[in-house]
This record gives sequence, C-alpha cells and structure tokens, in this order.
Amino acid sequence: MAEKRALKMKPNDNTATVLEEVLPGEDVIARMGNEVFTVKAIEKVPFAFKIALTDIPKGGMIYKYGEVIGRASTDIKQGSMVHVHNLEGTRGRGDLAPKGA
Amino acid sequence: MSFLGYPRPDGSAGIRNEVLVLPPGLVASEICHFVPGTRTLESADSGSGRTANDRETIARVLIGLGRNPNTAACIVHNGSPGADYPELKAEVLVQEIARSGKPVELLDIAKEGGTLDALKMGIKIARAMVVGASRQRRVPCDDGLLALGVKCGISDPTSGIAGNPVVGYVYDKLVAAGGTAMFGETTEIIGAEHIISKRAVSPEVAAQMLDCVAKIEELAKASGQDIRTVNPVPSNIAGGISSLEEKSLGAIHKAGSAPIQGVLQYGERPKGKGLYFVDNWMTMTSIFLGYAASGAQLVMFQLGGGGLPNWTLLEGVPTGVVPLLWVTANPVTYARSEDSIDFFSGTVIAGEETIEQAGERLYRHILDIASGTRTRPETVRFTSPAQMYLREPVF
Repeated sequence: MAEKRALKMKPNDNTATVLEEVLPGEDVIARMGNEVFTVKAIEKVPFAFKIALTDIPKGGMIYKYGEVIGRASTDIKQGSMVHVHNLEGTRGRGDLAPKGA
Repeated sequence: MSFLGYPRPDGSAGIRNEVLVLPPGLVASEICHFVPGTRTLESADSGSGRTANDRETIARVLIGLGRNPNTAACIVHNGSPGADYPELKAEVLVQEIARSGKPVELLDIAKEGGTLDALKMGIKIARAMVVGASRQRRVPCDDGLLALGVKCGISDPTSGIAGNPVVGYVYDKLVAAGGTAMFGETTEIIGAEHIISKRAVSPEVAAQMLDCVAKIEELAKASGQDIRTVNPVPSNIAGGISSLEEKSLGAIHKAGSAPIQGVLQYGERPKGKGLYFVDNWMTMTSIFLGYAASGAQLVMFQLGGGGLPNWTLLEGVPTGVVPLLWVTANPVTYARSEDSIDFFSGTVIAGEETIEQAGERLYRHILDIASGTRTRPETVRFTSPAQMYLREPVF
C-alpha cells in the first residue's frame, strides 16, 4: 500500500495536514522536522485536510500549530479526517452566548 | 537591496507614477475617462449621513491616497455629496495632501460655473499634471523605502503551512531592511491573539491589540450568530479549515516574526518604520484601500483557493494607485489560475524549496514589480467598487 505525506507542526499536535489526497487503508507518514509519525487512514482525507494522529474523545481539545483549534464534537478515531463534522470552534460563538448579553 | 522608483519630495519613493483625482464620483471619473495616465477610485462612500468618526476615516483614506508615494500629483474637487462636512472639505484635503510636497490642485465646481465647466478645467489641469509626471525618471531607491500590506484570503491549509510563512519571511526581510510592513484582519486574530500580541513592542501596544480583538469578538457574540457561519467563510471550510481559531493560527504566519510597533486604524499612516497591525476588515474591496491610504506602495493577496474550484480569473482591487500581487502556495489553485497569479510558493509543500528560498524569490519578485514590471491584476481593468471600513451607524 502506498505511503502518503503529511505535516505535523508542533509536538503536542494531535492532527496532521495531509500533503496529498489519502485513501482508506493507506499509511500516512507525518513529518515534524526529523521526527516521523505513522498513522493508517481509515477514510479518505483530501489534500490539505487534517487527519487524527490519535484517538480524541468527545469534548477533547484538538491541536494544530501547537495550539487549540477547537474541540471534538464526537469521538474521533485515530486515522480519520478531522473537520467541521467532528470539530467545533470555541471562539466568537454568538449562538452559545447568553441571550441579551 | 534596491528597486527603481520615483523619488518624492517627502523622501518617499513611488513604484508607480499616477495622477490621482479625488474624491470618487462623476467629476473624477469623467476627468479620468478623458485623460490617460490619471486614476481615481470607485466608491459610493462620500461621507453623507455618516458620523464624525466615519467621516474622519473617509478623510484619512482620501488624504492617504493623495500622499501615497505612487501618486505623482493630485486634483481634489468639491463636487462630492460629503464635501461640505468639515473633515471632507476640499480645502482641508488639499492642505493635508500638499504636506507631501507634491503638486495638488483644488477644483472648485461652483467657481468654474458648474459640473461641465469644472470638467473642462479639470481636464486641462490633469493633462498638464500627466505631462509633468511623465518627466520623472525611475532611479535606484533603497528597499527600506518600501511599505507593503498583505491579506490572506480564500485561505486553506496551504496558506498556513507555506503561503503565509513565505510572506512572513518577506516581511521579516523588509523590516530588517528598514521598510514598513502591515498586516491586519482583526477577526482572523481571534484564537491567535495570545501568540501575536506577545510580539508587541510594549505592553500598551499589546493591550491595544487585545482590545481590538476583544471588541470584534464581543460584536460577534452580540450578533447571536455562530461565527462559523460567517467566518471562516464557506470557501475556507471547503478548503479544509475547520474553525476560526485554525484560520487565525495560520493567518498570523504572514506577519513574520518582527516586533509589532503599533496598532493603526484603517487608513492611518504609521508613525515610523517596521511591522504594524492594522485594525481592519478582511474583505478585498476594503482592506487593500486602507493599506494604500496608510502608505503601502504594493499590496499582496496570499491566496489559498482550494475551496473555490470555479474561480480562475483573479481581478485587481480598488486602491486608486496601488498595484496588487497575487501569491499562492496551493498547486491546484496555481494550475487553475496560472495567468492570474504572480507568484507560486507551493514549491515549499512539494519539498522543492525551503520557506527561506521561496521567500528570497518572492522578495526579488517584489523588487522587480516595484521597479515597474506589471502585476497580473494590472492587466485587468475591472475592479469592484471600494468599501471603506466604516463602523458606525448611518443617519
């Protein structure tokens, strides 16, 4: 099975950005400097989208650039795509603000 | 390093040499239709019915464009609906623009006997100004005289990992050379403000930055809307960006690593050299005009583009006198719009170049454009009308 390239930005990131389209079952090699992390994709991940490097439980924080980019809105399995269907942003949420605030 | 520019009396240097007619409207447009070598702005923001703060913003924009180094000479008429407000009187605009030492003339519509007679006089003045400007020659100028403004847009993950870092490298190099670099898009600092504000030169500047971000986030919350239905915009999400925080964390890479000297309002001129944060709105018909008014001779759009598969022809932006440079790191975007994009940094993603190598290449490209080479948008006449960043209610 082909190996696909991905980029991990910082040590505490639990996602990596895939540098080419990834298909289910393919091994993804995420590089961070000279370090290499391998994860098997369990679904298709389009170019430049994110893949989960670890399992992330619902409510768990999701990291890229070493920073929080949102929290898991559902349990996320290692090797799956991370996007708006399973990640929710936590900032500027007028929909969550108390009414009349 | 140096570029070939037009030296101005105030010590600045233009990378273009335009005769500018202001404010926008019929008089300016018709003079410009008649006289090649003249420029104006298309905008309906006259100031009429606007608060004093918003009128001051409009005045800053008009004065800033007149003072922009790319403007060789300027005509200001008083035939705009906002021209009777104290901030927007033609006499005031002329006086402020004249501080640059460049030729600037007031065209008084009433004194000329009405619009048509004023057009006749305006055309005469403009033709003489164009001849005068054409006598100027480009000479070698230090790159420290350059001021740039940048926006990242239709962002996708290629922006954060390659496109923006390459721009950031250029910003660091320009600042080190003594130049001026501006970035902004306050909404797209949300989620990254704790990182970027640490680079402020003083606690006061850091507090100002955090205050700008807090105010925008409060407005977002007060709107009752989930910010994700507004920003990230649909094309960001289609391209792979999942939240505003992720967008912001990628976006700040375009600001390089230099200390942030200050916070500017829309269209405000920086007090010194170096890197500045501008409290502005991201949209391309607004942000670049503001940078031009702040004195940028060249502006850059760092394009992701992955989420906009049908967009191929990239237009310019309404700045009056300042050219736009399109940059992308997304190979799909580049393949689709190669004839619209001025610079490709996707070589970094392919592993063919480092960020430093691509950044050096972009810096040389910028000097080339500053020396007179046209950008791709300069070969497309159309731009959408400008939207000045006016933040107060209308009455």
